[in-house]
Amino acid sequence: MNLVTEFHYNNDFNELSLEPKKTTSQQRKQHESSRKEAEDESRLPVLEAAYTTILRGLGEDTDRQGLLKTPLRAAKAMQFLTKGYHEDVYDVLNDAIFDEDHDEIVIVKDIDMFSLCEHHLVPFFGRVHIGYLPNKKVVGLSKLARIVEIYSRRLQVQERLTKQIAMAISEALQPAGVAVVIEAAHMCMVMRGVQKMNSRTVTSCMLGVFREDPKTREEFLCLTQNA
Amino acid sequence: MAYQKSSELNGLHNGQVIKEYLNGFDKKSIEPKKAELTSKQQIKDSDDVCKRSAIEDAYTTVLRELGENVDREGLLRTPLRAAKAMQFFTKGYQETVEDILNDAIFNENHNEMVIVKNIEMFSLCEHHLVPFFGKVHIGYLPNNKVVGLSKLARIVEIFSRRLQVQERLTKQIATAISEALEPAGVAVVIEAAHMCMVMRGVQKMNSKTVTSSVLGLFQEDPKTREEFLILTKNN
Repeated sequence: MNLVTEFHYNNDFNELSLEPKKTTSQQRKQHESSRKEAEDESRLPVLEAAYTTILRGLGEDTDRQGLLKTPLRAAKAMQFLTKGYHEDVYDVLNDAIFDEDHDEIVIVKDIDMFSLCEHHLVPFFGRVHIGYLPNKKVVGLSKLARIVEIYSRRLQVQERLTKQIAMAISEALQPAGVAVVIEAAHMCMVMRGVQKMNSRTVTSCMLGVFREDPKTREEFLCLTQNA
Repeated sequence: MAYQKSSELNGLHNGQVIKEYLNGFDKKSIEPKKAELTSKQQIKDSDDVCKRSAIEDAYTTVLRELGENVDREGLLRTPLRAAKAMQFFTKGYQETVEDILNDAIFNENHNEMVIVKNIEMFSLCEHHLVPFFGKVHIGYLPNNKVVGLSKLARIVEIFSRRLQVQERLTKQIATAISEALEPAGVAVVIEAAHMCMVMRGVQKMNSKTVTSSVLGLFQEDPKTREEFLILTKNN
């Protein structure tokens, strides 16, 4: 598989377009990584052993009181922080899509987001602002936040996360346009490396009318600006 | 320039030092010290590299068990980067207070409070291996010995770059300063956010944990403690 195809295959979307995907539910499940919720428990011992090795390699004494159950806790924490792998947008949406004669902008902003940088396995976190222009179909508002959760609880790169959220909403609702903006602080830049405390990374993804019409985009950006 | 050179030669026998200083600097006498320092660093680096490969393998296992595809482009060098990052986050184990104080203790006829506040601190929770970070405020009442101000921040670095519990971190910083300077009193306050509580578990975004350690006059005299707390308050 060439690199580009593999990138798309592993990242839950095959084409960067607004055309409704003709994938079956089974094909979608195939795109998920090999992580099933039921297996989490059985994978814990291997994870625990790996974390014990890591602690020893760092020079710590794994028999001291504070570290006795740390491999287990760290393994469970990592599984929680990557639980997005076994969640599916369609399960989470729970059919909370309603027919509504509304075609004005709908924005849910300041959604707290926590994710893991796939390069250093160190957290990055911030806020997500989502806006969409419904095409007679609106979605339950919390579902937008749940979509953020699915994609952020994975090993991510902020650019890809932004795109995945936008694509998921556009596939599910077929709206006239979707806009997603993420502003986050990356601990890999703050706690180590270049160590710049106050730097923030902003990424955005504009689809449909938000991409084509600058005025619509401007309205979204104004409404999500925090004074 | 001369002072710098003579401190480099600290390791040599006293007589040798003075001889070198008076006779100008023979390159050959500086080389052994430099070589010793370089070789110490090299030993430390090669030590790190050896341990790193075990940590790398462990991280590859972790990635696999979490269900990821370890051969995809974004994850190819992640075990190495994650191992290096972890070693950086725990580099405090290899540092000692004596090394970093670097003799920056000065006799000064000053016995009023000295405070260094809003020192950023990043540490790893020893229970979940997830970061916690925040600010440290340090105050001390010198007993005619003051310390270089950045050294207080460096002491925070030594103890925070370890697997820690916030209570212990606070106490270690306070004890280290009190042992090094023998001041009339030391106060350390840490306010931090714990990602193990924010990103997982109970998931409370805005919660902060505050711990303090007060020694000497700060412990005995409530007015002194109050002065420190008022001066370190951020509005």
